[in-house]
Order: sequence, then structure tokens, then C-alpha cells
Amino acid sequence: MSNQKKRNFQIEAFKHRVVVDPKYAEKTWKILEHAIHEIYNHNASGLSFEELYRNAYNMVLHKFGEKLYSGLVSTMTLHLKEISKSIEAAQGGSFLEELNRKWNDHNKALQMIRDILMYMDRTYIPSTHKTPVHELGLNLWRDNIVRSNKIQTRLLNTLLELVHRERTGEVINRGLMRNIIKMLMDLGPSVYQEDFEKPFLEVSAEFYKVESQKFIECCDCGEYLKKAERRLNEEMERVTHYLDAKSEAKITNVVEKEMIANHMPRLVHMDNSGLVNMLLDDKYEDLGRMYNLFRRVPSGLLTIREVMTSHLRETGKQLVTDPERLKDPVEFVQRLLDEKDKYDNIISSAFNNDKTFQNALNSSFEYFINLNPRSPEFISLFVDDKLRKGLKGVSEEDVETILDKVMMLFRYLQEKDVFEKYYKQHLAKRLLSGKTVSDDAERSLIVKLKTECGYQFTSKLEGMFTDMKTSQDTMHGFYASHPELGDSRTLVVQVLTTGSWPTQPSVTCNLPAEMSALCEKFRSYYLGTHTGRRLSWQTNMGSADIKATFGKGQKHELNVSTYQMCVLMLFNNADRLSYREIEQATEIPASDLKRCLQSLACVRGKNVLRKEPMSKDIGEDDAFFVNDKFTSKFYKVKIGTVVAQKESEPEKQETRQRVEEDRKPQIEAAIVRIMKSRRVLDHNNIIAEVTKQLQSRFLANPTEIKKRIESLIERDFLERDNVDRKLYRYLA
Amino acid sequence: MPRASSKRKSSAPQNPPAVKSSNARSGTSTHLFYSGKAKAKEIENFFDKYANGGIIDPDGIVTLCKDLELEYTDVRILMLAWKLKAVKLGYFTQDEWETGLKTLQVNNLSKLKKAISELEKEVRTPPNFADFYSFAFRYHLTEEKQKNIDIETICELLNLVLGPQFRRQVDLLIDYLKVQSNYKVINLDQWLGIFRFCNEISFPDLENYDETQAWPLILDNFVDWLRENHR
Repeated sequence: MSNQKKRNFQIEAFKHRVVVDPKYAEKTWKILEHAIHEIYNHNASGLSFEELYRNAYNMVLHKFGEKLYSGLVSTMTLHLKEISKSIEAAQGGSFLEELNRKWNDHNKALQMIRDILMYMDRTYIPSTHKTPVHELGLNLWRDNIVRSNKIQTRLLNTLLELVHRERTGEVINRGLMRNIIKMLMDLGPSVYQEDFEKPFLEVSAEFYKVESQKFIECCDCGEYLKKAERRLNEEMERVTHYLDAKSEAKITNVVEKEMIANHMPRLVHMDNSGLVNMLLDDKYEDLGRMYNLFRRVPSGLLTIREVMTSHLRETGKQLVTDPERLKDPVEFVQRLLDEKDKYDNIISSAFNNDKTFQNALNSSFEYFINLNPRSPEFISLFVDDKLRKGLKGVSEEDVETILDKVMMLFRYLQEKDVFEKYYKQHLAKRLLSGKTVSDDAERSLIVKLKTECGYQFTSKLEGMFTDMKTSQDTMHGFYASHPELGDSRTLVVQVLTTGSWPTQPSVTCNLPAEMSALCEKFRSYYLGTHTGRRLSWQTNMGSADIKATFGKGQKHELNVSTYQMCVLMLFNNADRLSYREIEQATEIPASDLKRCLQSLACVRGKNVLRKEPMSKDIGEDDAFFVNDKFTSKFYKVKIGTVVAQKESEPEKQETRQRVEEDRKPQIEAAIVRIMKSRRVLDHNNIIAEVTKQLQSRFLANPTEIKKRIESLIERDFLERDNVDRKLYRYLA
Repeated sequence: MPRASSKRKSSAPQNPPAVKSSNARSGTSTHLFYSGKAKAKEIENFFDKYANGGIIDPDGIVTLCKDLELEYTDVRILMLAWKLKAVKLGYFTQDEWETGLKTLQVNNLSKLKKAISELEKEVRTPPNFADFYSFAFRYHLTEEKQKNIDIETICELLNLVLGPQFRRQVDLLIDYLKVQSNYKVINLDQWLGIFRFCNEISFPDLENYDETQAWPLILDNFVDWLRENHR
């Protein structure tokens, strides 16, 4: 620039203000003003950066910063107003393009201007706390363009219109959108939020409200969820492409609220396609989708869990109380296992193995299994069936799997002591009749029970196995010491320790002469080696194999119970025997004898005896004969094997009573244990502690606990505190 | 001193008891020593009127009651037993008699009559009554190692001891005890529980009865029965 006057001046800033010719300032400003115009007119190439910089520098130096700054403001504003007009003039689609173009231009211009005015930016502006140049440029853009009357609304509407079109399936210019949005973001977070984001969210909410309403009327649950998922993904994708990342959470919230949260109950309970149907039909994909969508909204998973729980409890309750199902205990348990498998699969495939769902499943099972007081018995019967025949030919791994599943059910039982009682009975029968499929499987289950419930639970069961083994050794010893008996082992004895085996009252029964001599030999042998013990024959638990020849010469080997053997042997010495005669000779108790005779004479295919009259019931005057016409296609015939059956009513009552009786000392022992260590304890705490201690065996009744406490007070184990009657004290 | 008094006594065998008593009960008997020789004798004579073989037996008590113009089932006789710290039901030993009467400062029938009506007031004060109530149960344990009393006797006792004060509760409780079949006897813990029940639970609404508290089970059952039958 050649107009510049050459001056030599010295700056003595500290001493006095150098007054410069005001015209100088005006001239300098004019230069700069012109430059700005040129820049905006895309004519910047002809400018000298160095010169302009120096001019600006000088102005500031000579204290004309104010003039420079205000000039900048007014010049820029002037230009922006023109730009504004040109943008307003743009039609339709080109509106955004024009805006974008002008914005880019402005940014470029702004950069250059800022570079030129850098000295002012660094000195005058900070000291006067004015807005820096770049920011000023943005603010002016904001105020004159983006927020101008004619543009602001139009801009917003255009943007929202484009979003809407994209949502309805059209393809839009995402790059352009991105740029415009970026412009808003650059202008400041409040601009983006106020001028775009907030209305965007409102409009979106409205859009999804309408859409969700439409969908829910016409779609079933699965379809609806698919649509919701799609929309959700769409919005997330939109954000990554042209919105501020911070908007993602906000827009997804909107979708979640409008499409999911607002319709949750209706979706879950939808007829024919809701949650319950999905569960029934194992619709893993739909369930998984529901899980993933619902976990995004408050109480979403809770809703699913609650519906699942109540459905499970309801079906479970029906299962265990359905009289049809109760007829076959093995089926009953199998059905329970199937149900558990089903839900385990659902939770692992669709519900992400969510622990809270596992817990809901467990608590539901625990609830309905215990609704039926016969569950412990049935589970034991199931195991009995498996160990007798069900596990034949099954691989070791599979055996373990089945037993583990049974253990799962066992864990749900509240009355584990009832299970123990039945298990003992069934195990005894299995062991004594030699009818177990696999010793290993038996032992494996015992180990599992021990791990679950502790040593005491299984010590007696293990005792039973020990007795069987010991008896084998005893047998060896017996026959070794009686060589005169030869090789044929007519008698096999199992010696059972009274405490370990289920108690049976010993009954009368006269063994046939052939037997009794041999039995006596054994008795003296045994007592000879084990002094101080008492042996009593359990004739109601034994079995015998008899070779029989019938009228037409047919030979069979009959496998019968001891009672049956006693009856049949009588017919070696008589052709006809009346009921009374049989009763007298055998001294078997009437009810057992009647059942025994029924099994020998009244069962088709097993009627080795003939009865007159031919009725099903046994009358006192009935007469019995050997059935010479007996036939069977098998040589070996099994008659009336003692199989574990569902108990009859009176038997059930008896077992239940015995269980109750057994519980009393256990409760007392728990009370004494607790009081011994605590010395003084109040009523509610005792109840709680006792219940907890006994939990692994059965659910203790607070009233029963109270009774036991009172009994212990009476027997001077405990006393009440004199002052606070709720306190109990242990009396050493 | 003891030797001096023993010299003056006419009948030798009777000396030792009087002397023994005053030595054993040192706290209360100082006044006896001075004026009590005559009194002691009178008490002894008083004792002998009803005693039979050195002890007042049930017959003797019946006679005593007649003289006192009381029914022998009267609660005041029971109170006398309590005051005398009697151990065996239906019997007063010489020791119990003499010590008790000395405490009451009584040596003849008319004084005894008066003392008994005073005694009633004394017994009915709260700390004494609790002790008396407990005594009533223990007194009726006749056999050695006996811990329980049959329901019938309990009903009579309740009526006698608690009736005057808690008429409504006692009447209903007696009804219940006769009807229920869970318990054939009552033990001390339950007996004491009944007393606390009458004192603490508002009746007949039973509003503050809380089953989860450590009330004896028989009272839980009683409350259930009340709620079912007497709404």
C-alpha cells in the first residue's frame, strides 16, 4: 500500500499518550474495511497479508482498537445481512445448500479476518473483555442468519421435514444434513439444543406416539417388537450419520418411551401372541428381542419377570394338583423335570442367563412343588423307578445328568426329611430284592445327597449299603464253616442293622421245617461270632425261589415272597387247605395272609393256586388247591414281587405321623444347641434361628417350636426371664 | 439367759422348741424374748388345740376354720398358709405355726380372726400378690417331683385366687380349660403366664395381644377360641 505516510515516531507508552492524527485511523480503517469486503467477495488473492496485519497492529497500538473492533462488527454485519437475503431467496431444496455454501464461505472469511486481526485478538480484546474475533464471527452468523426471522423457522422446519421423510423411507442428502447440523453445533451447544435438538425430540416423540399406536392396533406382539427394534436401530444410525453423539441417548429414550414403555402391559398381555404364548411355544427369538428391548426401560425386565413367575406358578400349581397326573408318580416327576428344562433353555437362550430370572424360576418351582405334600414321596418313587429299570443301558454321563436334575428338584423340597423317609423305604426294597440297575448310580446319588445335606442325612443310607456288603462276607463265612451243606446255597441271609433300615415291626410266621433247621444253624453261627446281638427274622421282607411241578408235569421255578413260600410249602403235605388251616399253620397276620393268598390265587397268569369260591376276596371259609392247570410260557415265574408303590391312605398317615414325631427331638436339639451358645435369647430370635438351622431338612412350624420350648421349660432346660417374659435363659 | 429361762419352765420337754424358735428367727423375735415367754406358751397352747400328733392335719384345719368362722375353701385360709410359709398342703407344722403367728403378733383366736382380715389387705398389694399367686400353685403340688396340676384343680384355684380381681377373664378361661383337650395339666410357667395375661391384656377386646410374643401356647389357643366364639 503506497498511501501510507512515513512516520518516525517513538512510542513512549508509559509517559504520555501519543496522539495520532485521527485521519490516520480513519484511513487505516478504510484499508481494512476494504479488505474485508474483498474477502467476502472472494477477492482475497489480491491482498497482502503482511500489510493488513501491520495496519491492524498499528491501529491497536495507537489506541484505535475500539474503532477497529466496532468497524469489524458493522462491516461483518453488513455482509451477513446480504448473505441472509440470498439465502432467504433460495427456493425449496436449494435453501439448505445455499446456507451450507454461505456458511463455508463465512468460515473461510472469518479465518482470514481473524489472522489479520490477530494482534487485536491477543491484546485489545482480552483487556477489554470483548468477544474474540472468531467467536464474534460465529455469534454474528448466529444472530443474523440462523436466528433471523425469515430463516430460523424455515431452517428448523426444513431439517425436521427431511428427518421425517427419511423415517418414512425416503433417501435424503445425509452429507448436507451433517454439515448443517455441524454448523449448529459449532455455533454453540445451546444453539444446537435450543434451535434443533429440543424440537427434534418433541416431533420425534409425537411421530413415534402415532406410529406405535398404529402398530399396536394391527400387529401381534412379535411383529411389533420387531418394528420397535428396527426403529431403535434406525435412530441410532441416524445419530452416527448426522447428529451430535450426545443426542443418541436422548432420542433412544424417546423411542423407548413411546414404543415400549407406554405399551408394555398391552404387549406383554396380548392375546395369542403375548409373553405367555411366547413362553408356551418356546419362541426364543421373540423372547430374546423382548428381553433386549424391555431392559432399556424402567421396570421392563420386572414386568417380564412378574408375568413369567405368575404363569409358571399357575401352570405348576395345576400340574401338581391335577388328579390325573397324580396317578403316575414317575410321569409326574418327569413332567416337572421337563418343565424345568424348558425354562432353563428359555433363560439361557433368550434371557441372557439373567440371574434374576433364574431366581424367579427357582422360587416358583419351590412354591408349587411344595403345594403337593406327596412331592417328596413321588420324587423318591421316580428315583426308584430309574434305579430299577429306567437307567438300564444309559451311559454313565447321562446317568449323572439325570441324577443331577433330580437333585435340583430335591433342593426345592421343604420337607426333605419326608423324602429321606421314603427314600430309605424304597432303597431298602431295592437292595433286598437285588433289583438295582447300577450300584454306581446308587452310590453316586448318595454322594450327591451327602453334599447337599451333610453327613447325617446319608449316614444311615450308607449303613444300609455296608450291611449288604457285610452280609455277603457273613454268608461266605457261614458256608465255609458248614461244609456239610455242600455247594448249593439254599439260604441267603442279609443281616440288617436295626437303626439304619426302615423300621418294621417283627411279625409271626412259621417257616417250613426244611427252612427252620437251616435258619437255626445260621443263627447259632452268627451269634457265635457276634456276641451280645439279637437276631429276628424279618419274614415280611424276604423272598424265595421254589421249583414246582404241576399236574400235567409242567415244571416251573417260582419267585415268591417268604409268606408265599410258607403257604405253598404246605401243599406238599395236603391237597386241599382251608383259609383257617393255612392261617393256623403259618401264623401269618390276617391282612398280610389275605393279600398273599390273593396274589397266589386271584391274579391271572400267576394263579398257581386255585380257590373255591372263585371270588376276588378271601373269605374265612375259602378252600385252596394247587392249580394243576397252571401254565406260563416262561420257566421262571415271578409272583407278587415287592415293588415300591404309592402308599395307601392309612400308610401315608402313618408315615406322616412318624415324620412329625421324628421332628420333635430335632427341634428340641436345635433349641438346646442355640440356647447353649447364646445363653439368653428372646422369643422371636429363637424361632428365627431354629427355623434357619432346620431349613435343610424341613420347614419348622413356629407353633411346634413354641410347644417344644414350653416342654423344655417344664423339664428345667430353660427358664423365662423374671422381668422380660420374652426372654429365655439357658439353665446349665 | 437361755439357761435362766429354761430353769423357770415347768415342763422340760417343752423348753427346747421355744428356745430354738427364738434363736432361729433372730430378727423378729427380740420382743418375744422379753415379753414373749408367756405369749410363746399361749401360741403353743393354741397350736395344741388343733394339733394331732405334733402337727395340725387337715382335720385340725377344718376345726380351725370353724372356729374362725370361715369355710375351709376360703381364700383367706390359703393366705394364712402363705403367711405361715406352709410347705405341705393341708398341714401346718409347729414351726410354721409358731413362727407365722409370732410374725402376725397373734396368740389367740380372736387376734387371729382380726389378723386374717388385715392379712387379706396385705396380700392384695401387688408385690405380695404376685408372690402369693405363685405360692398358690406350688402349695398344691402334693407329690414329690410333681410339676403339674390337673385342670380341675387349676380351675378351682383360679376361681379362688384370681376370681375376685379378674372375674371376667377367669370365668371365660375356666370355660375354655374345660372345653379344650390339648392340655390335661397345667405347669408353673403356664400358671404364671395366666397371671401376666390378666394383668397386661386388655379385656375383652384383646387388642394388645400379640401371638408372636412368647405367651404360653395354651393362651394363644385361648385367645383364638375367644375370638371365634365370643365376638
